[in-house]
Amino acid sequence: MKSRSRWLRDVRNDLGLRLIAATALLLYVIFIVVPVLMSLHSSFTDENPLQSGSNFIGLANYRTMVHDGELHATVLYTLALALAVTVVANVVGIAFAVLLNRSKLSYRVLRTVAFLPQVVSGVIVGFVWKTILTEDGLLNNALTRLHLVKEPVDWLGTPHMAQLSVGIVVAWVLSGFTTVVYLAALQNIPPELYDASSIDGATSRQQFRMITLRLVAPATTISVTISLITVLKLYDVITVLTSGGPANATESTAQYIVKLAFTSDRFGYASAVAMGLLLLSAVIALSVTSFLRRREIDL
Amino acid sequence: MTTAQTSPPAVARPALAAGRAPHRRAPRVPGTARLIAAILVILAFVSPIYLTVVNAFKPERDIVSDPAAPPIHPTLSNLSTALSRPDHLLQLGLRNSVITVVCSVLLLIPLGSAFSFYISRRRTRLRAAILALLAAGLMIPPQVVLLPTIHILTLAGLDHTYLGLILSNVGGGYLSFAVFVYVGFMRAIPEEIVEAARIDGAGGLRIWWKIIMPLVRPATATVAIFLSLWIWNDFLNPLFILGPLQGQTITTGLYLSVGQFQMNYGQLFGIMFLAGVIPVAGYLVMQKQFIAGLTAGSTK
Amino acid sequence: MFRRCLTAAAAVSLLLLAACSSSPSSSGADGKVTLTYLTFNTPSLTPTFWKNSIAAAQKSVPGVTIKQVVAPNTDRDSYAKQLKASGQFPDLLQSITPSQYTSANLLQPYDQSWIDANFLLPQGNAIKGKVYIPPTNSQIIPLVFYNKQLFARAGVQPPKTWADFLAVCAKLKSAGVTPIELGGNDPFAAAVPLTGAISADVLGKDPKWLQERYAGTVKFADANVVAAATKMRTLVSDGYFEKGALNVSYADSITQFNDGKAAMYPMGSWYLGSVPKDAWDNIGVFPWPTDDGSVVVPFAVGGSMAISTHAPDIKAATAFAESWSLSPDNLKALIEGDGAFPMLKGKTLADYKVNVSPVFTDSYGYVTQTNNKVSSIGWATNDDAMPGSLNNDFYAAAQALFNTADVAGQMKKLDSAWNTASK
Repeated sequence: MKSRSRWLRDVRNDLGLRLIAATALLLYVIFIVVPVLMSLHSSFTDENPLQSGSNFIGLANYRTMVHDGELHATVLYTLALALAVTVVANVVGIAFAVLLNRSKLSYRVLRTVAFLPQVVSGVIVGFVWKTILTEDGLLNNALTRLHLVKEPVDWLGTPHMAQLSVGIVVAWVLSGFTTVVYLAALQNIPPELYDASSIDGATSRQQFRMITLRLVAPATTISVTISLITVLKLYDVITVLTSGGPANATESTAQYIVKLAFTSDRFGYASAVAMGLLLLSAVIALSVTSFLRRREIDL
Repeated sequence: MTTAQTSPPAVARPALAAGRAPHRRAPRVPGTARLIAAILVILAFVSPIYLTVVNAFKPERDIVSDPAAPPIHPTLSNLSTALSRPDHLLQLGLRNSVITVVCSVLLLIPLGSAFSFYISRRRTRLRAAILALLAAGLMIPPQVVLLPTIHILTLAGLDHTYLGLILSNVGGGYLSFAVFVYVGFMRAIPEEIVEAARIDGAGGLRIWWKIIMPLVRPATATVAIFLSLWIWNDFLNPLFILGPLQGQTITTGLYLSVGQFQMNYGQLFGIMFLAGVIPVAGYLVMQKQFIAGLTAGSTK
Repeated sequence: MFRRCLTAAAAVSLLLLAACSSSPSSSGADGKVTLTYLTFNTPSLTPTFWKNSIAAAQKSVPGVTIKQVVAPNTDRDSYAKQLKASGQFPDLLQSITPSQYTSANLLQPYDQSWIDANFLLPQGNAIKGKVYIPPTNSQIIPLVFYNKQLFARAGVQPPKTWADFLAVCAKLKSAGVTPIELGGNDPFAAAVPLTGAISADVLGKDPKWLQERYAGTVKFADANVVAAATKMRTLVSDGYFEKGALNVSYADSITQFNDGKAAMYPMGSWYLGSVPKDAWDNIGVFPWPTDDGSVVVPFAVGGSMAISTHAPDIKAATAFAESWSLSPDNLKALIEGDGAFPMLKGKTLADYKVNVSPVFTDSYGYVTQTNNKVSSIGWATNDDAMPGSLNNDFYAAAQALFNTADVAGQMKKLDSAWNTASK
């Protein structure tokens, strides 16, 4: 009796909380779960945003993906970009963090400044870098003035250079983020560890390898995972910087999906590619995270 | 910005060591040399931002003759040109962005934290499954859910409205991030605190608001700061969900109106400076919490 | 079915959550109506031009308010489709490619008698006999503009045949002059020489080529098309384009050609609007050269705006569109600013009181003379328009030719893109 009335009271007491929690869950279901299921469903149809009806066409869209050269090129570029940017941004992040890990005011100011690329929106980043990188842009202007190059460099003008330039810009953005993550991790390393190893006669290189790298491993997990996921859904920077050109060389898979859906009117196929990207992101994120977590323990 | 509007600085716990000073060791490199090196490296790193700032205040002639020079003949004409555009790009864009960010974050914080409190109280299989479902939202590329979201909003009569954009922000991957951060913090709160309050007769809502929320203030700071930044810089959702008729956020407004013009450097940098200055100022004001939030995320 | 259930369920719950939704309807009662109008900006079609022309036409249709929507770049078709997908298809759409929308029944044809009464080529941009965009003006894409001083410096004359053209390029190059300006960072501009070569060589000999491509009897991979496309590749591999051409924006290419940084500029006739006054006598023009030196004019009848079948008030929209299209002031602005060749019946150039350059008059000559006019590939908006987003693939192919010698491979890609887009 008594416990039953208490249970009733609990339910009544918790009603408000439950209501808010349920609202949150409902919104998530409406805006993530249902849309993913709808996309999954579209991926088996020939849906076209200009037409009203659509037909069920089974796995045809997925079969098309196998022979779609442009898709393969975007996936390849996206993966290469993800890998390269992740490596560069994390190496730069660790290096900057070690460089800036001092408590003096001047270093704290530098730390603040180093995060700025991450604060500015991708559209602004794209426009500013575009101004810097175009044929008679600020960088070529400076390089020719300093006689470092004879002729302007084609930063955005050939497929390979444009691919490289996009990589540099994205790595630049992410390096601000990784620097702060690694700095935070460095500050949690007990200084005694360094003292003890100094007494044992460890060189600074040994210290970096044996202490620093090992103890920032959890930060590496976060930083690497976030870098990878960011590049896999990259849209705004590329759209502004190169619009995927020249000759589609810098088109990311995320951009290709938007192009298929909204320019080529192939929404069914776009959904199938989106499902592919979702699967790819999930596999990469989960395997990298579990690998890095295991490594955290091993170290 | 790009950093995954939905990516978490992993599971968070109350920040313990945010500002701890590292121990000073006998420097192997002389202090000043190191500082100078650090300054040069970081200055080179943020040179695009430096260029934006200095050139926003330089006449066109000075920008072309030496983009890297500080403003020797400082001028405000670039900024006033940007502010007096006939389409009021900056004024309207900034206003619309503020509306979107404030409403979204004000809804996300109570929803996210109440949900996290509820779900983290007892560990049952169902709750674990729900939590896993929410975590999955962190890696869903926004392109996957874009068009279905528009269909749903259209059916509800909320297509191209601010309410529609705000609700899709609240229900989307951002909620996953909020829950992820809050759950980490809330699991660290001892069960006894909640029990004691219950015995005193406090209801769930009251416990959450009066006891839990004050305890997880660092989490709230992290969530508020990161979500504000990401929603402010969001591109795809406002571009497609809001569309051109209801006015632009600052991000999409820039994209739609700066694109194809023969715009001189001064005008361009003036606009970029003004468009970027609010999040940067916000970051500079809040940077202590900002870095603390990141620290909370990266230490385990 | 499943999908509809899901959508409906989600929407219903959303409605319950957000009872406060205010319905955003644009059509009003009491004769007042707001129409959305998609435009785009170019260096010559400036925001001021749109503002003035809209205000003028609005005055003649009382009760109509125009809300302008500006595409983020000159690719207004992609933006129009994006708006369609997000439920905001504009009521009026400036210079789109109607064939992309007619099969979905999105556009309202104009009254044929009004078209016949007012335009020189009433069927100039018709699709299956129906006119969706008033054929107010025409364009030649491309013409080759040249700098007379630079030609004199290198001692060359405007070429007629392709062989002459290559010889001119070679002489210019050895005289230290960049032969050809190209703003290849903008995909459409990168493709202008390819448009010229294929229009002149392929359509010049076979004006029905695009219809035959639809029928599947010819292909891009056919030897004659590959040979034409190879000309573009030749210009690349011989180094006749400006250095870093794909790194130069379209807007910058105009400035650079006007500044005398290159001797020739293959571009659509709209460049005529950007010839600076002090260079009026220094810029000349010749048609894209052919193998035998015969004149082929890659031609497109353009025009003003299409009307959406979903416009809240089609009558008012039509009234606005007709007023805008026939406005002598708009035509004057388009002639002077955008190099448009007017196609209104019963009017000569003088009637518009325009002040045009000699090179405009020369160029306009190619329109008024009897000559071999063919559809400009990628620019025609009549039945010869390419399917789907093939224009984008065409542009990408042109950019690709800067970096690959595999012309046939690029043409094959276009065939497969065509097959996907037209199925």
